[in-house]
Amino acid sequence: MPLARVLIANRGEIAVRIARACREAGIASVAVYSDADRTALHTRAADRAVRIGPASPAESYLSVPAIMEAARKSGADAIHPGYGFLSERAELARACESAGIRFVGPPSDVIARMGSKIAARELMRGAGVPIVPGGTPSDQSDAGVLSAARALGYPVLIKASAGGGGKGMRMVASDGEAREGIAAARREAEAAFGDGTLYVERLIDRPRHVEIQVFADAHGNVVHLFERECSIQRRHQKIVEESPSTAIAPDVRERMGGAAVAAARAANYRSAGTIEFLVEGTSTFYFLEMNTRLQVEHPVTEAVTGVDLVHAQLAVAAGDPLPWTQGQLSQRGHAIECRIYAEDPEREFLPQAGPLLLYREPSGPGIRIDAGVVEGDRVGVNYDPLLAKLVAYGETREIAAARAVEALTSYPVLGIRTNISFLARLLQHDAFTSGRLHTGLVGEILPQLTADEDGDPPVEAIAAAALATQRADDTSAHDPWSALRRWGR
Amino acid sequence: MKLTLAHGDREYEVEVLADGRVRVGDRIVNAVRGESDSVRVDGTQAWIAVHEGVRWVFCNGRPYTFTERGGAGDRRGADRRPRPRQRGAGGELSAPMPATVRRLLVAPGDRVKAGDSLLILEAMKMELPVRAPAAGTVRAILCREGDLVQPGVALVTIE
Repeated sequence: MPLARVLIANRGEIAVRIARACREAGIASVAVYSDADRTALHTRAADRAVRIGPASPAESYLSVPAIMEAARKSGADAIHPGYGFLSERAELARACESAGIRFVGPPSDVIARMGSKIAARELMRGAGVPIVPGGTPSDQSDAGVLSAARALGYPVLIKASAGGGGKGMRMVASDGEAREGIAAARREAEAAFGDGTLYVERLIDRPRHVEIQVFADAHGNVVHLFERECSIQRRHQKIVEESPSTAIAPDVRERMGGAAVAAARAANYRSAGTIEFLVEGTSTFYFLEMNTRLQVEHPVTEAVTGVDLVHAQLAVAAGDPLPWTQGQLSQRGHAIECRIYAEDPEREFLPQAGPLLLYREPSGPGIRIDAGVVEGDRVGVNYDPLLAKLVAYGETREIAAARAVEALTSYPVLGIRTNISFLARLLQHDAFTSGRLHTGLVGEILPQLTADEDGDPPVEAIAAAALATQRADDTSAHDPWSALRRWGR
Repeated sequence: MKLTLAHGDREYEVEVLADGRVRVGDRIVNAVRGESDSVRVDGTQAWIAVHEGVRWVFCNGRPYTFTERGGAGDRRGADRRPRPRQRGAGGELSAPMPATVRRLLVAPGDRVKAGDSLLILEAMKMELPVRAPAAGTVRAILCREGDLVQPGVALVTIE
């Protein structure tokens, strides 16, 4: 049965992107918003918008009762959770199942099983998918987690057993670091997922993070949509993703795709999902985790395969078979996504809050921008600082990268600091252009990428600053032009 | 009209001349105003905006910020690094940005070493420890766990 009205249980760029897909598919959409997002772009992108609570995520976007109440009030027959927030909480999928509302994602028991790293690993082991040494200590006391870390041998990763996205993850190389890391990871895990259970894992030296997009329907069809290379990370948060990976030869791609399809089948998966692998060298890969939701970086796959993953999610949620067979899918050209964050690379990437005085998106051949903000918005402190994603496509990696750099340097954002210039320098750095990527790369070359304030600005910038005028309502400084004409907006 | 613009630690003497030209140091450039938020300087397009005394310019592919000496945004000597700010001889520590106090790790009377974590702030899902800038004794805790705190407001004092 086709979907009639989809409630989008998210905010920012992904809520906007899903609302657009609904509109294209002729499905009504309902946005939800907290008090901090009353006028946010996503509330205007949907056909209607429902308030779900105060700014605090726990009382709004992370509240299953608030989301279910909004769905009931608005007459939604489906809920799309986006990524983050409740997308990997089995509780929301379960609430949908009992309320007779379709959840745009896998069944709740699949989310629960894959959300538990230990259950997911056991399942993968059974399906013949290689896994990294590690586990969830049965003794979850600080001392228990510490001895588990010690037993694996440092360096070790400590992370939240629930959820992904790098939240709550710590690399520790000694008992002392482990003690501090356990406490911090637990707090972050509790804050982000409401579950402080920790997981420890052997650290693979200089690995790549390569993930395979999978898609399954309710009729037993499972396909993969090739890989995304996500090794460009800072503190375990992805910042640049691309497809194809420069490291993956066709035969390795085929093996990884086969392993991912086997994993999705073993999980009884449905909808869009991602199998994350750590790749050691160019051909050894280990199952890392499965993300049972749409990924932030899904547009990279859309660019190289030419499909619309959100459309397919809506179709599969309605009970339709997959729109494509494995044989119909192919990877063509190259795509690179850059995550645009409100953060200051000069100040240890501190998240930034403030007004978007000026925000002009670039455009051009092969450029796609998925944004959650518009000029005039105020970026607050309550949520993730992701403003937008810039995706550049080209026939080759060089062309895609050149288009991305050109777009990043034609992307004026004033009033709040962003990582845009940092991304442009990163994409031009030898370490990136050579394609020899690993997850520690950004950390290694960071000093070369953040030397922003050295030297004089161009004389044109200084002259322009002399002419920058106050807004009409801002009397805090004098305006050399006010006598001639009002420039304020 | 003459003004002094600061960019980081650098200062520039600038004069806006009557005929749309601008003198920067000993160089004179031609400025053509576009809309309220754009200006072309010697053929180079720049975007401009001002907020709370900070002049934002996007030019040659990247943003720059300037403040006018003596103007509203003049924060001479202000610490630009993201560590909590220390103000006054008494050692007041404050948040570098709006944040929530996640955990208090010390109590009044505690002896602390330089670098010890005093409390943990959280903003945008990131934790930021507030560390002691020098050894001393915690004199007062001026916030509670769960408080939403603004930059510049003292959280802890150390002597």
